[in-house]
Amino acid sequence: MKRAWSLTAFFLLAFGGGGAPALAQSAREIAESLDHAPIRFDAPVPELHEVSGVQVLFIEDRSVPLVDIFARFKGGYARLPRHDYAAATALPTLLRYGGTEILSPDSVDARLEYYALQTAFGSGGESIFSSLNTLTANLDAALDLWGSMLRYPAFDSAEVEGWRGRELEAVRRRPDDPQRLAFTEFNRLLFGDHPVGWEMDEGDLLPDRVSSQTLRDVRGRIVCPEHLLLGVSGDVSWQDMAPRLERLLEGWPPCTAPLPAPPIPDIREGGGVFVIPRTLEQSVLVMAHPTDVHLSEDPDYFAAQIGNTILGSGGFSSRLLSRVRTQEGYAYSAASLWTTPRKARGLIGAVTRTRPENAVPTLRLILEVMEEMRDAPPLDEEVRTSVDQIVNGFVFNFESPAQIVSRRMSFMAQDLPEDWLERYLAGVQAVTPASIHQVFLEHLRPEDMTILVVGDPDRMGPDALASLGPVTILEIPSGR
Amino acid sequence: MIRRLTLAALALLVLAGSSKGAGAQASTPGERLPVREVTLENGLRLLVLPRPGAPTVSFVVQYDVGSVQEHLGITGIAHVLEHLLFKGTTSVGTRNVAAERDLFGLMDAAQDTLVRARAREDSADAARLERRIAALEDSARTYVVPNEFDRILTRAGAQGLNATTTSEATTYFVELPSNRTELWFVLEGDRMAHPVFREFYTERSVVMEERRMRVETSPGGLLYEAHLAAAFNEHPYGVPVVGYMSDLQNLGRPQVEEYYRRFYAPNNAVVAIVGDVDPEQVVRWARTFFGGLPRGDEPPRVLAREPAQRGERRVEVLWDAEPSVRIGWHVPSGTHPDAPALALLSSLLTGGRTSRLYRRLVQQDRLATGVFSSLGPGDKYPQLFQLDASPRAPHTTVEVEEAIYEEIARLAEDGPHAAELTRVRNQIEAGQIRRLQSNLGLAFQLAQSSTLFGDWRATFRLSERLASVTPDDLRRVASAYLTAANRTVATLHRGGGS
Repeated sequence: MKRAWSLTAFFLLAFGGGGAPALAQSAREIAESLDHAPIRFDAPVPELHEVSGVQVLFIEDRSVPLVDIFARFKGGYARLPRHDYAAATALPTLLRYGGTEILSPDSVDARLEYYALQTAFGSGGESIFSSLNTLTANLDAALDLWGSMLRYPAFDSAEVEGWRGRELEAVRRRPDDPQRLAFTEFNRLLFGDHPVGWEMDEGDLLPDRVSSQTLRDVRGRIVCPEHLLLGVSGDVSWQDMAPRLERLLEGWPPCTAPLPAPPIPDIREGGGVFVIPRTLEQSVLVMAHPTDVHLSEDPDYFAAQIGNTILGSGGFSSRLLSRVRTQEGYAYSAASLWTTPRKARGLIGAVTRTRPENAVPTLRLILEVMEEMRDAPPLDEEVRTSVDQIVNGFVFNFESPAQIVSRRMSFMAQDLPEDWLERYLAGVQAVTPASIHQVFLEHLRPEDMTILVVGDPDRMGPDALASLGPVTILEIPSGR
Repeated sequence: MIRRLTLAALALLVLAGSSKGAGAQASTPGERLPVREVTLENGLRLLVLPRPGAPTVSFVVQYDVGSVQEHLGITGIAHVLEHLLFKGTTSVGTRNVAAERDLFGLMDAAQDTLVRARAREDSADAARLERRIAALEDSARTYVVPNEFDRILTRAGAQGLNATTTSEATTYFVELPSNRTELWFVLEGDRMAHPVFREFYTERSVVMEERRMRVETSPGGLLYEAHLAAAFNEHPYGVPVVGYMSDLQNLGRPQVEEYYRRFYAPNNAVVAIVGDVDPEQVVRWARTFFGGLPRGDEPPRVLAREPAQRGERRVEVLWDAEPSVRIGWHVPSGTHPDAPALALLSSLLTGGRTSRLYRRLVQQDRLATGVFSSLGPGDKYPQLFQLDASPRAPHTTVEVEEAIYEEIARLAEDGPHAAELTRVRNQIEAGQIRRLQSNLGLAFQLAQSSTLFGDWRATFRLSERLASVTPDDLRRVASAYLTAANRTVATLHRGGGS
């Protein structure tokens, strides 16, 4: 099934008509005068099927004899108690490397290599995912092996112990990277004892918390058919694929226990400046406060998306990078963030790095740029730049059937409508300078930013730091 | 044999749809790609590969210049120049380029005076001149349309607009919807012909912040820089791409303009375009927008050669971080006949979980959290076979080194097993093949092959070159190059620093 896309109307947004280019004109004049032929192409649309109670998104694509299969399981460490944090984090890695009930870890590696299969295993706090890429000719063998890795993992004890040891070393090395340290401590500061604020520590990695048995227990709660969403794209018909998926799912037992809903975070409010002292040539600066804009069809969501692009997530076209980098030369990178979870509260804030003497001026400048977003609507030109990038770059959402299927799976996992991408496109095109101004007025409060600095307070000027709010020194050991 | 066939099939698949026609005599699928290859009269090389799929195009422009063309005093200049090429031209990014240039003259004169003030350690005068330069740049900014080059491409739907500088190449890249191909030619042709290095002194500060981020606050960056500096005494591979801080502080715009004139001629560039394009139309646009650029003098080539190392060198970095170690052995360039054997050796030692050093250091003895190897920092000149590893507490860099040397000695003595060799050949090939799936990856590969070997096809002959490597070759290169006298070891230990 294909849907014909015509983006003619969208492409006319960016540049008006004009004559043929002539070299007597400047490049800028030529660029402005170019006509851009409309792009027309057929973007495949996934079919939705159901096999043994599991939903499957499917696109047949005969262009090359390869098949991609994606699995996404709802559930992750955010749905489990802290006791299981390490085991849930280790789960994807050890599904891949821990062997199966009948194949040792080495044998799994050898088979993957023999059939030139490509697999990936990963996780977020609320999902576990895996993918498989195979030649069509090897589809049966590939599905057998991949299915065994998901359904009958052995969690080989030497592999589990190896993972635990490497993770302990990673914990020891975390303070070595100032940015990693800043993000870790900032999450902890804002989210406290909530999964977003958790960072692995020695206690999580005690042997009784990460073992073959704890991994089996955690797998039994997450990697089961009622949490599963599948996607398939490639050189196979649905008639040929459906029975293979039935075999994959046949007799797969249900979850051992239901997963609770993720806990609601209680995000820190009230501002303040927190400093982790480090005598470094460059400081890391992070700031944020909670907000209540959610991924949805609410016009505020689209205004927040475009507004954030203008504020600081849009690279050189954004205000933060223009002011902090291009104009002042304070930093190599400076960006805003505005997270918009589906249900929970999100964050709005900014991140940059600069030499200690410029830390306070840079923080002030960022807060000033934020204030300006509240003081007046953005320029039409700024809104058009952000919207045009999304509209004109829309074709990049359809570069491959595999990309289309996996993106649709992520929409489904978030309970978004199947035509979300089209609704998104319409939503951002409806954004106006006034709607952006309104969303910043309502949701951005620069004076409430919690600010974290990793760096040398003596070189920043302790008094200058205190002028931004009450200063708290956080003593985080730098290592052994 | 089945494994080899599987990979060969994969290669065909990745390149499917575009492998008919050209080069009937060529023996690998990659060499049969219908790449339209044109060299303009001014020497600019153009490589165009149409590919079916979504209406998008990847553009790569690679200049055959990098930090190897630098010397003490101007280190980092190739990378600074890369930043400046996003600042616009005589028409893009300005309201009045003549007025800007008048101010450039004043700024650059103040910079000359500033360098002299610093030389006589007159800090008061230096501070005054720094303020004057900043004020002049602020004045010039009234004529600037900031980041306009970026904004035009962003509005056109550009993805991944960026550039990268390595020790021996500077590469600019972007992806655009296919109906913006002509726009790219207009802007890129203008950038090649009429760049203006505006906001120079501010951008120099940005680059210094980049150095602070990548090197001065990064234990890995510090160790890498110390290692290369110790390994190369004469060849500029020992100089960091980002440049030394004191050189950056004293760099002036006229030096960058001179460097640009010397190295950014069309005859020193390759353009690779891959995606939904009509090659004949692309060639016409190339002639229109790049054809008028004047051919430049042949850029000066690097004549420095690193002399044979006579004895192990060791360097230690003290920093407030967990320990790590880097080991480098001098080996020939990427075009040398031994290069395929060295690539296989690298995979055999550290390529994945079945590699010798991973098994020994990470799995068996649990001495390290990981071990990695590569050939670098460039390909064009004799380079290093580099290993790096992070010990797992309570183990030390000494134990890690000892285990590495034992495994290398075992390999040099006994050679690899045939199955081991097949496995690593497959790994390298599979990696190469899968990289071809992306238009941008393929454009990079065509450009790099053309820059390094003078022939875009050379990159696709790798599998043949790998297939001809024997176990004896591996034993020979391990014995010949991975010796104690030929190595430089850098270790990082806690102490000093932060």
